[in-house]
Amino acid sequence: MRSQNEFSYGGDATVKRPDLNKEISDQEWDNFVYNRKSLRGKHWELWQHISGCRQWIKVERDTATHEIFMTLKANEEISL
Amino acid sequence: MSTISALANVHSTGQFGDCENKNDNLLNISEIKNLLIVQIVQYKNSSISFESIDIDGLNLKDEPLSVVNNNETRILWNGPKNWFLISTKKDLLNNVLEVFKETDFAVTDLSHSRAIIEIEGEEAIEVLKKGCPFNFNTLEKNNSINSTYNGIAFTVDKLDNNPNKIRLFTLRSFGESLYHSITDASLEFGYKSL
Repeated sequence: MRSQNEFSYGGDATVKRPDLNKEISDQEWDNFVYNRKSLRGKHWELWQHISGCRQWIKVERDTATHEIFMTLKANEEISL
Repeated sequence: MSTISALANVHSTGQFGDCENKNDNLLNISEIKNLLIVQIVQYKNSSISFESIDIDGLNLKDEPLSVVNNNETRILWNGPKNWFLISTKKDLLNNVLEVFKETDFAVTDLSHSRAIIEIEGEEAIEVLKKGCPFNFNTLEKNNSINSTYNGIAFTVDKLDNNPNKIRLFTLRSFGESLYHSITDASLEFGYKSL
């Protein structure tokens, strides 16, 4: 078990970059770059173990209670 | 040209803190110098096996906390496919560069970019507990971790259990801050600076 102090928040883990060379609208690009939900409750997030092994991980966390439900490696898919 | 150690400006010898009537139980704090420090990272797209690679009679082990060691050399697990080699044999670097091919591994000599503090004594673990969130009751002999001490990123290498003997590595530029944090936390127990 490691302390939260060792980790650094890395953003929403559900955001996916639009496919390469795909025609996309300004709105889609806007959503990818800027627009985020500010959820209260369960949320998939990216975290980096910045003061430890430096790996990126995906964490399902309750933003209100800070309860952690599940973690995945950065390359593993989230099954919603 | 002579080299200046990372803690040359702050480390001075003597007894400090609550030292009265504690001659046998004082913490010993020293700066460790002149070690070879090498970071070895296997590239993500490299598929070669590292288990069979021999460095100073040691093989890499990709297992959290693990430290493989002999009298001169210690190889600390630093993260997945990422190791920290510490050795008193300075010429081991040539051997490391030879066995770890540059197509598969990034080998970086960090000998001059780290400050190293060694604490020895029964209360060494208590000193670490004051500033680091890691549960040190679970740290065994020949284990190492990366964590923070009062917000300073550092690596802990436990060399011995009885009495506790621990080496702390931090970036050279953080060295003085970590030294002040560690010695301040040690005043309560009394320490001998060697």
